[in-house]
Amino acid sequence: MMTLFPPLRSPKTSKNQGAFPRKSFLSRRLASSGTLIGLVGLIALFAVLRPKIFLTPLNFTNILEQIAILAMVAAVQTIVMVVGDFDLSVGSLASLVGVITAQLLVGGMDPVLAIFLALCSGIIAGAINGFLVAYLGLSAFISTLATMTSFTGLALLLSNGTTVFGLPDAFIWLGQGRVGPVPMPVIIAVILVILVWFVLSKTVLGRSWYAVGGNSEAARLSGVNTNLVRFSAFLASGFGAALAGIVLTARLASGHPSAADPLMLSSIAAVFLGITLSRTGQPTIGGTIVGLGIVGVLNNGLNILQVNSYVQQVLTGVIIILAVSLSLFSKKRR
Amino acid sequence: MKLKRTLTALSLATVASLMLASCAPGDGGATGGENAVTVTVITPYLANAATKEVIELFSAEGEKLGWQVNVVDTAGDMNKLNSAFQDAAAQKPDAIVLGTGDPTQISLGLKAAADAGVPVFSIDAGEADGIAANVTSDNTDLGEQSANALIEAMGGQGAVVMLTHDPHPGVRARAEGARKVFKQAGIEVLEEKHVNVPGPVDDARTSVQDIISARGSEVSGIWAGWDEPALGATQAIDAAGITDISVVGVDGQDFAIAEIEKGGPFVATVKQDWKSISAKVVALISALLLDGTQPDQKQYELPGTLVTKK
Repeated sequence: MMTLFPPLRSPKTSKNQGAFPRKSFLSRRLASSGTLIGLVGLIALFAVLRPKIFLTPLNFTNILEQIAILAMVAAVQTIVMVVGDFDLSVGSLASLVGVITAQLLVGGMDPVLAIFLALCSGIIAGAINGFLVAYLGLSAFISTLATMTSFTGLALLLSNGTTVFGLPDAFIWLGQGRVGPVPMPVIIAVILVILVWFVLSKTVLGRSWYAVGGNSEAARLSGVNTNLVRFSAFLASGFGAALAGIVLTARLASGHPSAADPLMLSSIAAVFLGITLSRTGQPTIGGTIVGLGIVGVLNNGLNILQVNSYVQQVLTGVIIILAVSLSLFSKKRR
Repeated sequence: MKLKRTLTALSLATVASLMLASCAPGDGGATGGENAVTVTVITPYLANAATKEVIELFSAEGEKLGWQVNVVDTAGDMNKLNSAFQDAAAQKPDAIVLGTGDPTQISLGLKAAADAGVPVFSIDAGEADGIAANVTSDNTDLGEQSANALIEAMGGQGAVVMLTHDPHPGVRARAEGARKVFKQAGIEVLEEKHVNVPGPVDDARTSVQDIISARGSEVSGIWAGWDEPALGATQAIDAAGITDISVVGVDGQDFAIAEIEKGGPFVATVKQDWKSISAKVVALISALLLDGTQPDQKQYELPGTLVTKK
């Protein structure tokens, strides 16, 4: 199977080959890191304004816990966006898988089997998206918008529109438990992020994703099975969304038909924020993590400052625009 | 070629299943034949558990009288809500029922119903021109009852955080009721936090987690405008290992009652009397259809029932 993906130079490999003189590499790095500076700036700002609360290990654990589930979705959204597509169905799919998991567990199924089946249903949903986009040639925007609607409908049908509760403790541990001081969702998110980083930067499949996203036609002409590559990106997305839905259900100790819906827009925002850090204009997992950091720190910091909730939403939008334009300007100046 | 054939087959199957689905209620539910009373229920919020419950109770009550009840959901879309009213008015049912939602946003739809001469009643919506009568819970009462329960759990002193959602008129009225009770009892409201929908449980959980780290020692109670944010607050408090903060909600949903029974931070909720509300709407419609009796009030407000640990 892997021979279908000939090794192509990923945008990252040139860096490793030392193609750029050291000085120019450094200045490029600085110029494109406006978003990173934004994140550091936000942390510094909140640290100065509320040093005793913001800069505590407990609060940082809180921030990590608050973005862990979003990180799972954003990690796989990064893959889909590397290929040059979007997946608008990730949030509703996570909600749907959460409801499926909750119903299976309430029905008395063993948690391990329930989680396995729930992950499978996510992968099947991803396969549907992938089939529509890669093989039927529909635009990712339209097809995932359509499946988003259907997934939401299915979640409402399966949950009967209400909250599904009464889940076993062994399962809830997955979302509420801790290993030492570290919350379980953070551990799961870190494992998934490392996995995505590994596949994106160290494997032929990852390079093929970048190749198809960079120039699909060139990739095809050099022997990459572009359809299969795009299909596989949506499979990954289905898996990640399902995982997020399962962990969210455990965290909330209940399944809600729309619980994960807001994850979709936030995940795309995180990836876009991360793209500003990339020299090639393609998403990277490192960039996405910085984007997630901005989303998480901003939300937590404004909460701690007791900023009015409506003002908070306005500020979040403004700060995201500022972060992105800062990095754009610094690139132009170069 | 094969793909094209598969697609054609799929399309045909979809059309066929749609036709079957649209036939089903007519075949199975037409208990009264040609002359049966038909009522169309239109709602933007069927995804909400409480709305769904009251509409199901209403349908069951109506069907007992031999009515044919059709339910249309616009999934939160207020624009479609107007179109749904226009579509329903064109079919001239005996009555249209608005199942929750803000009537000020559907003046267009209400006008269509009035032009067609179809009376409109509403469940848990609001008073408006074009609505014969609105039957709802006394939301101010729900807020007052839950606030009083919270103050009692706090031992009559301390400060609270309120989890609100002002765009919803009912939740807004509850918050106003609660605010007044807190003021009279001399309980300080430290902060009012707007809860985002969808995803209210997780949103409330995140907010409360941050409030606890910022000023946990000052907070002794959390008042939530409905049960879902109350659940999120409860989870944040449990996760932080705090035992001296109490939480109350409103709605009396099953998960909330189960949480209250555990004896944790979630101490009370107020159940809306959906059964009486739906029965009242059915009675009002029956009276109008029977001999043209108009409702004597534009708004009927029924009290809720406080639910605490048994």
